[in-house]
Order: sequence, then structure tokens, then C-alpha cells
Amino acid sequence: MTANTIGQNQSSLRLQSLKVLETLALLLIIAFIVLPILWLAITAIKPQEKAYSTTLIFSPTLENFEIIFSDTSVIINEGTDRERGEVGRNMFPSVLNSVVVSGATILIAIPLATLAAYAFSRYSFVGNGVLLVWILTTQFIPAIVVAIPFFTLFRTIEVFGKPLLGTQLGLIIVNMSIVLPYAIWMIKGFVDALPGEIEEAAFVDGCNDFQILFFISLPLIRPGVLVASVFAFIMSWNEFLFALIIGREMRTMQVALMTTSGARGIMWEQMAAAGLVVMIPIFFLAMFIRKNVVDGLTMGAVK
Amino acid sequence: MRKKRWVPWVLVGPALLIIVLTTIYPLLAALYFSFHKYNLRRPPQFAIQFGENGIQIDWSLLSLNNYTLAFSDSRFINSLQVTFWFTVISVALSVIIGLFIAVVVQKGGRLHTLTKVLLIFPFAVSPALKGYSWRFMLNENYGIYDLLIDQLIVRPINALLSIINALPIVEIPLISESIVWLGDKFWALFMLAMSETWGWAPLIALMFVGALGSIDEQIFEAARIDGANRLQIFFRVTLPLLRPVILIVTMLKTIFSLKMFDQVVTMTGGGPVRATQTINYYIHQIGFVRSLDIGYASAMSYILVVVLTICAALYVSLVLNRD
Repeated sequence: MTANTIGQNQSSLRLQSLKVLETLALLLIIAFIVLPILWLAITAIKPQEKAYSTTLIFSPTLENFEIIFSDTSVIINEGTDRERGEVGRNMFPSVLNSVVVSGATILIAIPLATLAAYAFSRYSFVGNGVLLVWILTTQFIPAIVVAIPFFTLFRTIEVFGKPLLGTQLGLIIVNMSIVLPYAIWMIKGFVDALPGEIEEAAFVDGCNDFQILFFISLPLIRPGVLVASVFAFIMSWNEFLFALIIGREMRTMQVALMTTSGARGIMWEQMAAAGLVVMIPIFFLAMFIRKNVVDGLTMGAVK
Repeated sequence: MRKKRWVPWVLVGPALLIIVLTTIYPLLAALYFSFHKYNLRRPPQFAIQFGENGIQIDWSLLSLNNYTLAFSDSRFINSLQVTFWFTVISVALSVIIGLFIAVVVQKGGRLHTLTKVLLIFPFAVSPALKGYSWRFMLNENYGIYDLLIDQLIVRPINALLSIINALPIVEIPLISESIVWLGDKFWALFMLAMSETWGWAPLIALMFVGALGSIDEQIFEAARIDGANRLQIFFRVTLPLLRPVILIVTMLKTIFSLKMFDQVVTMTGGGPVRATQTINYYIHQIGFVRSLDIGYASAMSYILVVVLTICAALYVSLVLNRD
């Protein structure tokens, strides 16, 4: 063997061990990311008596989902544990609350944000830049500061003879404070990316501002608006602090997770099932906007 | 191109109005509350009264008491410290692990691509759920993390330590295999930060992957031709090029960490013995759970606003000066 081939063997050995290390690192990363979600999914389909162990030997069941979506959960649990029986609650109304609140939030926020984003992108008006930066900074206001005054305000304001506190409408209103600024910045990014020539041409052809906006620009930025809507939906679906303080007894799903806990602690098999119900729709939505998540989270600051 | 001056205002107006109502109004109201004695159990007496003779101001009702109270309240000071350490640990872990993930997955290859897709997964898990799932997995009796940490980390280290201890040189105490993670003051805070890191490190990795992708491959090639090894390339080429992005991401994560609330509620409940009571959690306790003191809660949240304003100013100047 010549010195040359020994050197080659050594370097290929080093290269191979690097490859092995890299694969190990990748597997470690995958385990780190997937394990909590996987374990939640496994626990959700475990029978109650197996949920409080790390065993992987069990016969899968949908029992836990049945329990969280039935009014009879009290009875089912009473047989095994009296104290536990008290906390069982049908979570269906909470799913509905989450859907209504998140849905209404984007139905109000997205059209308004689209119009505003378009104006910020296409018109130069006094205060344009300052207003945009100001809108950016509103996302740094801690939610608790927004929650305190709205809590005291909604205690006194009545709609249809009921105080706004603990209603879907009340939660939708405070959600605006986080969703609108985000949506404006996201959609503005998409409008900015749209070349202005088409609009110029329409203007030359005699279209007025609103005709250009509604018939030329809006159809072109529709994919971007859809991404922003999904993002806004996820934000309000996963929102917890407002849901806890302003939403209160009208429990959204995030707050309903807390109802799986009782005198004996948390009933993990039910928590896991409820957790999957909370997570799965968002999971698909997140896959849908996968390419835009970074821009959304940083409002385009990292590119 | 277009001349009509009022058009942009018509478009911006409705959104702006709602943002002002949902952010400026509460900011002003909370500031106003913070100067008052205002407890939910009693009807508040405000300094500004709208009487028959117009607006009257009773200055005697205004005071800085809530603010002076905050800085003599050991529990508030504790929440400042907890938030500080939580922020330091969670930001450091998120950015470092995020950087590690980004560098590993950056290149092509099937496993790399799969991992890149998986990076988005934690984004789908709400913070509240994240807290619950980590709490479950860290349970000392049936938690999967507790089991894995004991088997894969604590035992091998202890085995090593026993060998060292067998030599008559030093005596190192073994690590306990029965640590109750969320029952220990240090570990509870650390694990809270870990759960946050689990959510954020993959997303931060995605941000870095994007930034790495925009760096010209020739730069790395040139470094390799010049004989730089992997570590040298990472520290001398990759890190300096990523510096602006790292700064922005660190600042952004700091701001999010300072506002930590959701997982404290669902994972630790502020315990053990207030060891994980962040500012936001303590404000919530004072304002809505225990003393129902809205005036004091407002004052404390204003202290948080001041801290966040400083961070936000730093962040905005970083972002705006990037180009």
C-alpha cells in the first residue's frame, strides 16, 4: 500500500464517520420534534388504565374521544373514580366556540387588513411609513395590558341584555388587537411583490382607483390573502390569554383543555384526546402555509 | 400615479380605527387604572368625574402607590427574576438549537428534506397544549421524558461516575434518578424553557435555513478550497454571515419570552413555590385570580410595557437598518 492510498482510506473513513454522525444528528432532531406529538397521539388512543404508564402494548380505542364528546362522561367515570367523574364535560360546544370565534375574527380582520395593506403598499400619503412601523410595534404590547381594560369594560357593556364578558363577540373584539396588525403586514408583503405595471395599464385605460383595486389587484393577491387568513385563523385558534380572561365560561378549546383536570389531577387520556382535536385542524392548515410561516412570524424581517 | 388624496385614507381608515380602539384605548385605560386604587370587589372611584358641572378632576384619588408597591413586593421582584432567567435560558436554547438544526438539515438528502418538513410540526401545537403535553411527559411516575432522561442520560453518567469513584482519587456524588422535574425549583424553570424551546427552535431553524439558502454557495466553496475545515467554516464564514439574522431572531424571541404566560398556566401553575411565576402570570394572579387588584395589576403590566417598548425599539431599529 502506498502512502497515497492510506491517506485516501483515512479521508474516506473520516467522511463516512461524519456521515454517520450527521444521520445520528438528524434522527435526534426528528425524535426531539416528533416525540411530544407522537406521545400525545398514542395516549389519546390508549384505554384509561394504560394511559398512566409508558407501555406501548395496548389495544387502541376511541373511547377517550367518545368520553370528551358525550354528556355521559360523568357516569362512565363514576364507576371507576367518583372524584374524576365530576370533571367530565362535553367539549363539543368548545369546538364550536373556537370555530365561531376564529372564523369571525378572520372574516372581519382579513377584508379590513387587505384594504389597508393595499393602501400602505400602493399609495404614498402623509404618515404612511410612521403608521406602518407603529402597526408593527403594536404586536409587542403584552396581551395582559389589552385584557385588563377590556375585562373591566366588558363587565359593564351589555349586548342583548348580557355582558360582553364571556361571550364570543367580546373575544372576537380583543382578538382584533393581535390579528389585524399581523394580517396587514403579511398582506402588504404580497402586494409589494406584485408588479405595478398591470395597475398602471388599467389606469391608462381609464379605470378609477376602486376599479383597479377590486378587479385587477385583489384577484392577483388572492393567494396571499388566503395565506394571511390561514395564519390569522391559527393565531386566534391557539390564543390562550384572551380566551382565559375575556372568553371565560364561554370556553374555547384552549381553555376547555383545562377542564380535563379535577380533584385527582389531570385525566391525561382525555387531555390527550382533546389535545388532538385542538391540534389536528391546525396541523393541516400549518402544512398548507408551510412556506410562509417564517415570513408570518417575523413579519418579513428575516428573508 | 393616482391623484385622489382621500382614497388611501378610506382604505386604511377602518383597520386603523379598530387597531386604535383595541390597542391605544387599553394602553391609556390601563395607565389610568394604574394610578388608582381599583379593586374588582369594590366599585372604583376615578379621579375624572363627569358631573352636572362638566368634567371634574379629583387629584387626591391619583397616586403612584401601585408602582411603589410593585418595587417593594417581593413576589413581583421574584417574577422579574423568573422572567429574566426564563428569557435567558429559553432564548439561548432556542437560538443555539435552532442554529444546530439549521446547519444539519441545510444540505440535500432525503432525511434532510424530511426533517425540514417536520420543522413546522411544533407550530401546530398551541402553547397551552404544549404545556400540558410536557407536564404529562415529565411526570415522575409515568412520563415518557422522565423515563428517557433516566435511561439515556442519568444512568450512563452515573455508570461513568461509579467507575471514576472506584478509583481512590475523588468521590463524586451520583445524580438522583428520582428527580421530580416539575417539583424542583431549578428543573421546573428549565423544563418550562425546554418546552418553549421545543416550540421555537424548529421555527428558528427554518428562519436560519432560509437565510443560509440566500448565501452564495461560492463563499463556502472558496473557504473549502482555502483548506478550512467544517468547524472553521461554521465559525469564520457561516456565523458572521448569519449575524444580522441571528440578532433579529434573538430580539424577536426575547420579546416573546418576556411575555411568557400560557405554558406557565398549563405546565407548572407558577410553582413550585413561585419558581416559575413569570411577570405575566403574576399579573394575572393579582388581577383576576387572587386579590382582584386591577390598579396594581395595571401598574405591573405597565412596567412590562416599558421593558417591552425598549426591546421593541431595539428590534425595529435592527430590522429597519438591515439594508
